Amino acid sequence: MQRFSFPVVQPDPALEELRSELQAFLKEEREAGNFRPEPECWMASSDTEFSKKMGQRGWIGLTWSSQYGGHDKTALERYIVTEETLRAGAPVGAHWIADRQHAPMLIEHGTEEQKLDILPRIAAGECYFAIGLSEPGAGSDLANVKTNAEKVEGGWKINGQKIWSSGAHISHYMVAILRTSPADGRNRHVGLSQIMIDLSLPGVTIKPITDLSGDAHFNEVYFEDVIVPDDCLLGEEGGGWKQVTGELAMERSGPERFLSSYITLETALYQLQGKLGSDSQARLGKLIANLRTLRGMSWGIANLLHQGVSPETEAALVKDLGNRLENDLTLQVRALLNDLPEEEWSDEMRRILNIGILRSPPNTLRGGTTEVMRGITARQLGLR
Amino acid sequence: MINTEGMIAETAAKIYTDLCGREVPHEAEAGNFPQALWNALTENGLPLAWVSEDNGGFGADYDEVFGAIWVSAEAASPVPFAETLIGNWLLDRAGLEIPDGASTFAILEGKTASVPFAGAADHVAVFDANKSTISLYKSADISAAQEQALSPDGDTRLDFSIATPVASAETNMTQRAVEALILTVRAVQMASAIEAALNLSIAYVSDREQFGRPLSKFQAIQHQLAVAASESAAATMAATQAASALASSADDPEKAWHEAVVAKVQIGHSVEAVTVPFHQVHGAMGYTQEYDLHHYTRRLWAWRDTLGNEHRWSKLLGAELAVTSPDQIWKGVTTGAWIAS
Repeated sequence: MQRFSFPVVQPDPALEELRSELQAFLKEEREAGNFRPEPECWMASSDTEFSKKMGQRGWIGLTWSSQYGGHDKTALERYIVTEETLRAGAPVGAHWIADRQHAPMLIEHGTEEQKLDILPRIAAGECYFAIGLSEPGAGSDLANVKTNAEKVEGGWKINGQKIWSSGAHISHYMVAILRTSPADGRNRHVGLSQIMIDLSLPGVTIKPITDLSGDAHFNEVYFEDVIVPDDCLLGEEGGGWKQVTGELAMERSGPERFLSSYITLETALYQLQGKLGSDSQARLGKLIANLRTLRGMSWGIANLLHQGVSPETEAALVKDLGNRLENDLTLQVRALLNDLPEEEWSDEMRRILNIGILRSPPNTLRGGTTEVMRGITARQLGLR
Repeated sequence: MINTEGMIAETAAKIYTDLCGREVPHEAEAGNFPQALWNALTENGLPLAWVSEDNGGFGADYDEVFGAIWVSAEAASPVPFAETLIGNWLLDRAGLEIPDGASTFAILEGKTASVPFAGAADHVAVFDANKSTISLYKSADISAAQEQALSPDGDTRLDFSIATPVASAETNMTQRAVEALILTVRAVQMASAIEAALNLSIAYVSDREQFGRPLSKFQAIQHQLAVAASESAAATMAATQAASALASSADDPEKAWHEAVVAKVQIGHSVEAVTVPFHQVHGAMGYTQEYDLHHYTRRLWAWRDTLGNEHRWSKLLGAELAVTSPDQIWKGVTTGAWIAS
């Protein structure tokens, strides 16, 4: 029997104070012209100077120990920081993935030396990571990865290719899932391992891929006899599949799964306040009710994760619902804007709306396609 | 979360388990009112849970009772348990005596009002928004036949101008406070019914075979139910959030209005997104009276109309948001504080 459950967590004054600090900083930066807000900013909008400023203020590396340059706070503080930067459409793409995913991975699996070397640089907003999962023949069928790491004396020799690696062109490291031993007959989940690769090593070639809007924020990454030392294997040799799926499950319910396009709505609201007709009011009421509900789910799950509970089914559902909502939001804004004569639309409104539309296709692809997510949900419901 | 572990919820769960098996809602619709179920609920005082102790009730906290409401909806309650809870709550807030028997409720803005489950209620507790009164009517005095109701507990349009109330008192409760309570109770019932129908659908497709394998093995079926599950989870969240808001503003339920409306809008809009796949995966079986699915889907179609449909409430919420600053809207989305403090 399926029974969903979400805790309702009352706002915490300390967290709300942190939120105010973020809001003040983001407003100042925006008004100073230091960034232009964009939808999907966590994937497609990077500014290393901005990341360094975030680092200086202590807003990267919140969740880890000060011994490694972190700030001894919790995932809840990080949640507030991420949702405020998403709301602002700030250029957080450079540091996002390292902060969310790879720093926690290093804390769990890295050597002391790696932690002391890399984590403080991540927290300072100076060191960036790219994800190395997809390959030309391994998209939704991730277990089909062919890029190979061969054991050599003192390390691993890597050959093959990764694709769709966001930010690899500005990243210092990639954590890739690689085949370290052959599949066991039909069981392809064995023999995969996670390996951290210094992208400045000889044999690494990074080629940008231009998206349909003309931006180049993702890449193909080629490996030709790249040698990495032994300690770059993170976690268990052959245990990569379990590590990756566990890692993906943890990041399905974050605010980037439903707030990526919020900046489009907020920009419109500034233009439309007091001007909405009856139909648009109904549209806005529904949209905000959906957002409030998803935020409740996402925040509830964040609190459960914080307590060490991992509600996998609920997290997968947040991603499916949230990705749909992100795209719906952009469409609803187009409808709302009919209440304002076109000549009154600000240039900023047009720019943000157009970026939102052009960046909408990957919402329902990255981090597991809608179809993959529904398959996971179906399995958890006992249907497969 | 909706706590189904408190004493009140556990008592209700035991009663519904013992006396409301799957045949009971069917028999009730055939005209056999489940008296044993109703007697057990009243003997345990459950419909009086929100009535103050001075007035013969438990004076229970809001959240202690939501679990019982969840349980009743899960069993497709064929007796007006939730309606009586609301009716008695209204009467108690005006200091009126609580009558014996089953009650229901209405908000009157003119001469007529929509009344849920009117056919099973002895009394109707009516909040008159214009006069700021709460009045008690006998159902027999205002009865009207509904030609085709969506479900036994669906709305009937009744004319209150033809009758005199048996009791009436002024109240300082606002319309929004009354709406917050009613919409939150409905949200809890609806979230529960959606989850129950999801579980029924999962069980059905796991059992039913076509083309030599269970329906559950077809990806087209899996994906329909995965989407329905996401709507079910969202409904549970929205109901939980509304219930929590009411529990933390017990002195002034009006403060819970926005979260109750969010739940109304969220869940009202999701009814179609769940009842369509539930019926689709059941095939013709789900369209029969014999099978259980309609006990949930017809209730959902009826309940989404409570105090007006989801479009009306989307507009009511949106009209307010349309003149609210973007900063305050963001505050509402993130913290539930919809009004500047």
